[in-house]
Amino acid sequence: MRMKWSPELHPNGWDALAAAVVVVLALVSGALLYTGGPGGGDLTAVVSVDGGETDRVDLAALTGSEERVYESRGYTLRVTFTESSAQVTASDCPTQDCVHTGAITRSGQSIVCLPARLIVELEGTGDTDGPDVVIG
Amino acid sequence: MRRFGALLAALLLAGGLTACGGEAEMQSAQVFAMDTVMILTASGGETEAALKAAEDELYRLDRELSRTRESSAVSRLNSAPEGAAEVGEELRDLIARALDFSDATGGAFDITLAPVSSAWGFTEDAYRVPAREELEELMAHVGAEHVHLGDGTAVSLDPGTQIDLGAIAKGYASDVVAAICRENGVAHSTVSLGGNVWVCGGNPEGKPWQIGIQDPARPEEADAYVGILRMSDGFAVTSGGYQRYFEEDGKLYHHIIDPATGYPAESGLTSVTVVSEGTEGSGTMCDALSTALFVMGEERALDFWRSGTFDFEAILVTEDGRLLVTAGLEDSFTPDETAGYAYEVVS
Repeated sequence: MRMKWSPELHPNGWDALAAAVVVVLALVSGALLYTGGPGGGDLTAVVSVDGGETDRVDLAALTGSEERVYESRGYTLRVTFTESSAQVTASDCPTQDCVHTGAITRSGQSIVCLPARLIVELEGTGDTDGPDVVIG
Repeated sequence: MRRFGALLAALLLAGGLTACGGEAEMQSAQVFAMDTVMILTASGGETEAALKAAEDELYRLDRELSRTRESSAVSRLNSAPEGAAEVGEELRDLIARALDFSDATGGAFDITLAPVSSAWGFTEDAYRVPAREELEELMAHVGAEHVHLGDGTAVSLDPGTQIDLGAIAKGYASDVVAAICRENGVAHSTVSLGGNVWVCGGNPEGKPWQIGIQDPARPEEADAYVGILRMSDGFAVTSGGYQRYFEEDGKLYHHIIDPATGYPAESGLTSVTVVSEGTEGSGTMCDALSTALFVMGEERALDFWRSGTFDFEAILVTEDGRLLVTAGLEDSFTPDETAGYAYEVVS
């Protein structure tokens, strides 16, 4: 059986343009999916107290180190942010686990101060090679 | 017009493609309970309702199972006149399971160490080394035989005996959270309850979750792991002496007490991780066994695993620098070679 072209379905220049748009959109969509969207590589430090977000620091926007002070449940924590890290540099909490954690540098890592109920967590798509969860 | 339709369809398709990531976006919740921080992430199903219900349950369990809250069910039992109390079905069942674990592990797991743990100051963060005589007196009241399950929801304790569910409560909580997520159709989830982890559904990209096992020799480094465990559905619980300890006269004393001696367990292990499939109740089992295997030491722990009494796998880190992984995890665990451990697969 032979197929016959309908006169209305003859491809022309506009069809080629539409096809090109589809191809371009597909490539852009694929790239966005692959890279995780625009803004990949930037880290944001999210500070939360008792589960509620209290501060958000765009690390990529920093030009040098910046110290911020947080107070919670009677404790004072000094957190130093750089372009690539966050670190609790001083705390008057009894356990000092937050200070001992040192600097965090990768998306998904966090510093927890249990007495102050404060968490500093890094978000972003910079280096996602680390584990999803840590136990120990 | 047809061309415009095709273009519109292409735009919608492209929009739909890029929105897939949004649909799979994980929601999270933080809960401070049971003396730890709990991080829950989830997507799919009724995520928001699941996280809210999980939060509520975690706070409720903290109120009921804590030994340091005077109003908790555990405290009411510990302080009951004549040592007997109606504790409710949930606590009665959990105590019954704890007694079963004590029996199965030859006493390596024991919920009656409460007064001993307090004597060391681990309950109140007031650390001290108790005198031998003090420990001997307290140890007379330690042992599963001092806990009696009565009719209905009644439980009684012998005089001088008190219970602490700290070595099993977070595991039980992970079982409860897992059930809530299942009921709400959650597709992907990670639940981390201070050393107790439950994961389900793999990650939204369709790959297993990656779980880092903390290197016990470098507890203060945020990204120091003995290796990475890949798991889509299941529980993993780690117990280690490095998690809570104090130093006196140059000697380190950690919080995992050996029920046979009343002293911190010196078993030659620095960390034990117990891994199990995500079946109901496995979180409780993993929590109890991680403590028990730590107390047992390498030889007894591996014999226990080989016995098949419970269905689990394990990762042991020894004081002499070995990393032992049971055969069932060989394909899902990758040791971190930079950690410097001698890696062995045990069968």
